[in-house]
Amino acid sequence: MNNFYPVNDYGPLMPGLVMAGVAIVHVFLAQFAVGGGLLLCYFQWLAMTGRSETARIFVNGYFRILVLISFVLGALTGVGIWFTSIQVSAPTIGQMVFNFHWVWATEWTFFCLEVVAGYCFYRYHTQLSDRTNLTLLILYAFAAWMSLFWINGILSWQLTPGDWLASRSLIDGFLNPGFWPSLLFRTIVCMTLASLIGCIVVNVIPSLDRTQRQELINRAAHLMIPMLAMPVLGVWYLLTMPDDSRGWVLGGSPAMMLFFMISVGASLAIGSYALIGLWMQKLYINGATATLLLFMAFGATAGGEFVREGSRKPYTIRHVMYSNGIRPDEVADLRIRGCVTDDPYPVVHEKDLPNDTVTVGAKVFRKQCAVCHTIDGSNAVVHLTASWDEDQMRMNIAKLQQTKPFMPPFAGTAQELESLVQYILWVESGRPSSWAQGMNPETVSQISRWLDEAGTEPAEARSIR
Amino acid sequence: MNQMFPIGFEGPLAFYLVVYVLTLVVHVFLMAYVLAGSLWLAWVTVFPKATAGSIHGEIPRTKHPAARILRDWLPFALSGAITAGVAPLLFIQILYQQQFYTANVLLGWRWMVVIPVLVMAFYLLYIMKSKIISQWSLGIRIGLSICVAGSFLFVAFCWTTNHLLSLNASQWPVAYETGDAVQSLPALSLRLATWITGTFPAMGVLMSWQLRGMKSRTDSWRDVASDVNWLTLIEDEDRRIAWVSLAAMIASLILAFCYFLTLPEEVRSNLTGTAGILWIAVLLSSSGVMITGLIRQRRSHTGSKSWLIAVTGALFVQLTAAASLREIIRLTQADLSAVVQSTKAAAEIGGLVMFLVFTVLNAGLIAFCLWLVRRKQAP
Ligand code: HEC
Ligand code: HEM
Repeated sequence: MNNFYPVNDYGPLMPGLVMAGVAIVHVFLAQFAVGGGLLLCYFQWLAMTGRSETARIFVNGYFRILVLISFVLGALTGVGIWFTSIQVSAPTIGQMVFNFHWVWATEWTFFCLEVVAGYCFYRYHTQLSDRTNLTLLILYAFAAWMSLFWINGILSWQLTPGDWLASRSLIDGFLNPGFWPSLLFRTIVCMTLASLIGCIVVNVIPSLDRTQRQELINRAAHLMIPMLAMPVLGVWYLLTMPDDSRGWVLGGSPAMMLFFMISVGASLAIGSYALIGLWMQKLYINGATATLLLFMAFGATAGGEFVREGSRKPYTIRHVMYSNGIRPDEVADLRIRGCVTDDPYPVVHEKDLPNDTVTVGAKVFRKQCAVCHTIDGSNAVVHLTASWDEDQMRMNIAKLQQTKPFMPPFAGTAQELESLVQYILWVESGRPSSWAQGMNPETVSQISRWLDEAGTEPAEARSIR
Repeated sequence: MNQMFPIGFEGPLAFYLVVYVLTLVVHVFLMAYVLAGSLWLAWVTVFPKATAGSIHGEIPRTKHPAARILRDWLPFALSGAITAGVAPLLFIQILYQQQFYTANVLLGWRWMVVIPVLVMAFYLLYIMKSKIISQWSLGIRIGLSICVAGSFLFVAFCWTTNHLLSLNASQWPVAYETGDAVQSLPALSLRLATWITGTFPAMGVLMSWQLRGMKSRTDSWRDVASDVNWLTLIEDEDRRIAWVSLAAMIASLILAFCYFLTLPEEVRSNLTGTAGILWIAVLLSSSGVMITGLIRQRRSHTGSKSWLIAVTGALFVQLTAAASLREIIRLTQADLSAVVQSTKAAAEIGGLVMFLVFTVLNAGLIAFCLWLVRRKQAP
């Protein structure tokens, strides 16, 4: 069987956006689960060592929320991410599963521990001794954090595969250059989220009075102190990034830079409030303010995830796979063989195609461009090319990786490229029922020359400054 | 396929098949508890009157032991079923990547909708467990229980649809064009019905263990008249469930046979040939053990523990046989050389030892958690 997957048309929305949506929700919840475990261990310890009697009330209330939110939504959005990744780029997730299936399987054994330890605590904590409860909480928190540990290796590998590219060794791939900074960074994010949600919970537990609340809030804020290390870890992480990806984030791509700034700004705001207000001045924080800060944290997470997803462009796995599922080492071959020659799937996202050329063009679009573009919805190719004349369009697509370095090189024949151009023009002209333009041999050979000039290599860092 | 599955396949393929089948069995066991359990709850909510003439006729069935245990444990069982589903979900992507992904993408949002449905059902289970629900009207409670059971039925339907679609590569382009995911409605219905009826014995076995465990803890059920003899009620319930399991299992075997008749000739001859015939024998004999055990259980008033152990063992053997036969069906229709190739390549990737080490560690820690809880609970 050839390696074609059907591609769905999700209307004006790009699949990448759907992916980002599910991913952000999942990451947010999963980080809450990890941080929640740590926070609970801390509070259980405060309670049982007599440092804070009120901490006990908190532990019970907080764990209930943790279970309801993270066991249910966290687990299921996790499966959801998997399903969404398959929809967006089956070759990418397939490659990741292939390389890291034992890492994932190992992570799964920690899921099992997390569920069992968590449920044991949830069901029986009122009948168990303080020590036993702390043991269960520590096991729960350990398992939750370890799931972060494993998945972090796989996700950071996508951007910085490092020595793995040469050695193909699992350890090199897993402990890639981005592994430690992103693990530490994420751990701090987890603690921050848990602490903010803790502040909200404190405000809604009815049986607490004002001084008790204040005490718990100031304790919960301790988990935000590590935010002090965020700038250093952030810089460390940026330094491990490939030059071009870092370039996007630091201004090369306005959208990415914007998300990055949102993320940094929101983190700064939360961090200063936590450090100055809650920790140094021991202020009180009410439910509304805590919720606001949590929303900002969500914004920061969202921004961060966008940057993480976006900065990998044109790859989903650096040097291994482009966003459209084509591998760099396939490009030269596809330039000769054609990228849709064996595509068994008919075009369904366009009705009433006028001729075969346009049909092939629609297939090329679906195969090579549809992950990042729609034809005339969001990030629409028709709009992006509107100001170009036909030859400009041909040249800019032939030199796709030079047109915008975060696009992969075009991976098809000159005829396919011309078909794509015809398809774009046809849509631009309002999808007329008849379309006369055919394949002009001279145009095709000009496209061939442009393709040769562009080469089959990606742009890499060379075009950035 | 000229040897008993999975012997005779290349080493790596056989290895991944075994891992897949074993992890799938665990998923199916927990999923069965959830699916059959939610159906049971819906049934007793719609028909709460106990059989006329029974000693406890005045207590609605929703307050009988099985319904109480189900409400209490279904959320956790669902957590378990989902977590246990992740492992076969991982290995299916090594074994049948192209098939599984293509079916997923062809179903598109119809596949993705499984997730929100499960989220909803999960929260509804928590609502059914909470105390507020007893103040709600019967209509709402009936609606709720049907909604939950319906959600799980829908999820099962999705998995079966996806599975059947994944088997049939020649149909993919047409399915893409027309959007029709179902090639043969009879085959789909029979396969799904086999699964649904097949979930009852698994639920019944686990429930039997739970009922045994509750015998010494009925004091938490004081919300009905205090003169209830819970022990008799538990025994009644145990027998009723054994009865239902028995009937459902026989129905499931008959449905499976009908499904078998819908299969292509080549598949059938592999099932009844060397690859499958021993598994069919295992399936039938383990079913025989279960039938005997369930009848014994129904007869005896105390519920024999040794028979329960036998039935439990037979259940897992039966599920393993069913899962193996299921793979023979798939492998006959798959591109075998592609599966051989991908598993061979996958086996060269490191990490297995690490996985085994952490499996042992975490199995130990899980046992430790359970020990902690049991030790403290003892009176
Ligand atoms: C990795 C994702 C990705 C892929 C694959 C991709 N593009 Fe792009 N492309 C982008 C992004 C991001 C932009 C920038 C959009 C903007 O500036 O608003 C862009 C910009 C463009 C532009 C405008 C360039 C300019 O200079 O203004 C065109 C035209 C275009 N893409 C066409 C295509 C075509 C045709 C394909 C398929 C052969 C394709 N792209 C594949 C991500 C991608
Ligand atoms: C309570 C909810 C669920 C129910 C009722 C359910 C039911 C089923 C059924 C009936 C099958 C067999 C399909 C067939 O052979 O025709 C199946 C298979 C499977 N399930 Fe579940 N399932 C549930 C949740 C899940 C979840 C959440 C996951 C993933 C994490 C999962 C993973 C799997 C896998 C991987 C298979 C094998 C698929 C195949 O081989 O094609 N299940 N499930």
